[in-house]
Amino acid sequence: MNTTYGIVAITLVAVATLGIGAFGLRVSRTTSDFYVASRSVSPWLNSSAIGGEYLSAASFLGVAGLVLAFGADMLWYPIGWTTGYLLLLVFVAAPLRRSGAYTIPDFAQVRLQSAGVRRVATALVVAVGWLYLMPQFQGAGLTVRTVTGAPGWVGTVVVAAIVVVNVVLGGMRSITFVQAFQYWLKLTALLVPVFFLLAAWDDDGRPSPVAPSDWIDPFSTGDATGLYLTYSVMAATFLGTMGLPHVVVRFYTNPDGRAARRTTLIVLGLLGTFYLLPTLYGVLGRIYATDLIDSGRTDAVVLELPSRILGGTTGEVLAALLTAGAFAAFLSTSSGLTMSLAAVMGQGLAGARLSGISALRLAAVGSVVVPLALALSAERIAVASSVTFAFALAASTFCPLLVLGIWWRGLTAPGAIAGMVGGGLCAGVAPVLTIAGSPDGWFGTAMSQPALWSVPVGFGLMIGVSLLTRGSVPLNVARTMVRLHTPERLDVDRRDR
Amino acid sequence: MVEKVSPEAQAAYERIHASDDFARLKKAYLGFVAPMTVAFLVWYLLYVLCSSYAGGFMDQQLIGNINVALVFGLLQFVTTFGIAYWYAKYSAAKMDPIADALDEEFEREVQS
Repeated sequence: MNTTYGIVAITLVAVATLGIGAFGLRVSRTTSDFYVASRSVSPWLNSSAIGGEYLSAASFLGVAGLVLAFGADMLWYPIGWTTGYLLLLVFVAAPLRRSGAYTIPDFAQVRLQSAGVRRVATALVVAVGWLYLMPQFQGAGLTVRTVTGAPGWVGTVVVAAIVVVNVVLGGMRSITFVQAFQYWLKLTALLVPVFFLLAAWDDDGRPSPVAPSDWIDPFSTGDATGLYLTYSVMAATFLGTMGLPHVVVRFYTNPDGRAARRTTLIVLGLLGTFYLLPTLYGVLGRIYATDLIDSGRTDAVVLELPSRILGGTTGEVLAALLTAGAFAAFLSTSSGLTMSLAAVMGQGLAGARLSGISALRLAAVGSVVVPLALALSAERIAVASSVTFAFALAASTFCPLLVLGIWWRGLTAPGAIAGMVGGGLCAGVAPVLTIAGSPDGWFGTAMSQPALWSVPVGFGLMIGVSLLTRGSVPLNVARTMVRLHTPERLDVDRRDR
Repeated sequence: MVEKVSPEAQAAYERIHASDDFARLKKAYLGFVAPMTVAFLVWYLLYVLCSSYAGGFMDQQLIGNINVALVFGLLQFVTTFGIAYWYAKYSAAKMDPIADALDEEFEREVQS
């Protein structure tokens, strides 16, 4: 690949990101601007921002690589990631927005009136965020190295620095603009080359993929292990989406509950449109780039196809466009995660000594340092597996907290803590065991995808302990329930800082 | 954090929580979501089961290279979007009017 085009593409994305961030800076003034963009983001802008934030490198590069290597079975990942949004819409979107809280720990405290629940939720937000940030930083280093030949740490540090500068300067409003821009950049980056690639494929006499039948037919191996793994991925992606801190916080930026529903609907359309494209790259890769499977570099298929199929300047320019898209994917996901971590940690820091905005800025630096250090020192773990563990952890802790908190008045603070700690331990120990020891057999399978059993553990503990501590149902539960389930204007005492 | 609520507002909240309209609101929600969640889970789980154990059925060619599995898979996505759209319509038509009525009732009660 031509190094100059690649460097130009990466520089342009970085400059545009900072430039749009600076534009947001001019309109960010108050604390509310910083945390939730003053709750005034329109559904289309907000949906684009959600799409921009959600479609990480795992979606941009990873899905095509998985389809190239494993075929139709892997389509389950994009379907699961999309469906997670439907569950988010039906179960939590509008009530969560109406709760009047900024973050999940805020919601937990408003609903359960307990500082203990708040602390546990804060710790979990940080854990999920770090688990998700580390592979993004590592992936950025890998992409920059592939494109420019620079050492791996360069891309990692550049992405971390841009993200921190953006959050520190502009807060949520500036991040919203940046991410909306990056969704459309990612879509364009995948869409434009597809026309050229398909035209070349047509000229070529439309060859079919050379592949064994289990590549074409989903789940044709027909064993129980495969079924367990698939169901577990479903549980993690369906239920984890609503618990991802950087996704949930977006619903606080809608003007009202109705807008929150509209936003989800548009997001589903945007995600569905996007996910058709990596699948096409994977199938084309099966025709033109099968050698990547043997060399284990399937993640590079999206970046390599233009030079292989088209070649020449056209191929190089299109490859640079795809590089820009990949870089946007790292930047946008990391920005969203850093923003939500900073929001949660900033609230803990804010007090007599620090204003809300200074606390947010300090927390932004703090929330990037640990995953940055991990990304630079730790051995590279596959992006997809680290991300799936983050989904499983969110599904086992925040999903029960949100669903029960919104729809069951019997939830108590001890129950919520027991469920989050228990579910979190199950979903947290499993990846450690898998990475440290790679156990075999059924135990190993259960550990490699924990969601199918750790989510019921989280729900079970939350319900069970709540029933045992029935006496400590918060006194204000009637008011909170009315507030969650009726429209915004019912808000004489809704907290709106 | 303990929030300050005026006694009138607290009483109004308690009354609304116990009112028929609030019960109807929750019933309207559950009446849609409960059957839909079951149907939708069965539909998804069935796809994976069929793919694993009913290869013959999934392999049937419909048109050219397009087989049942592919159509089934694409329909999964179409249903996801369809249910979301249907839910948004349903909420706007059935649930929002009840919620608005409760809202007005509350305003009257607290302000009078």
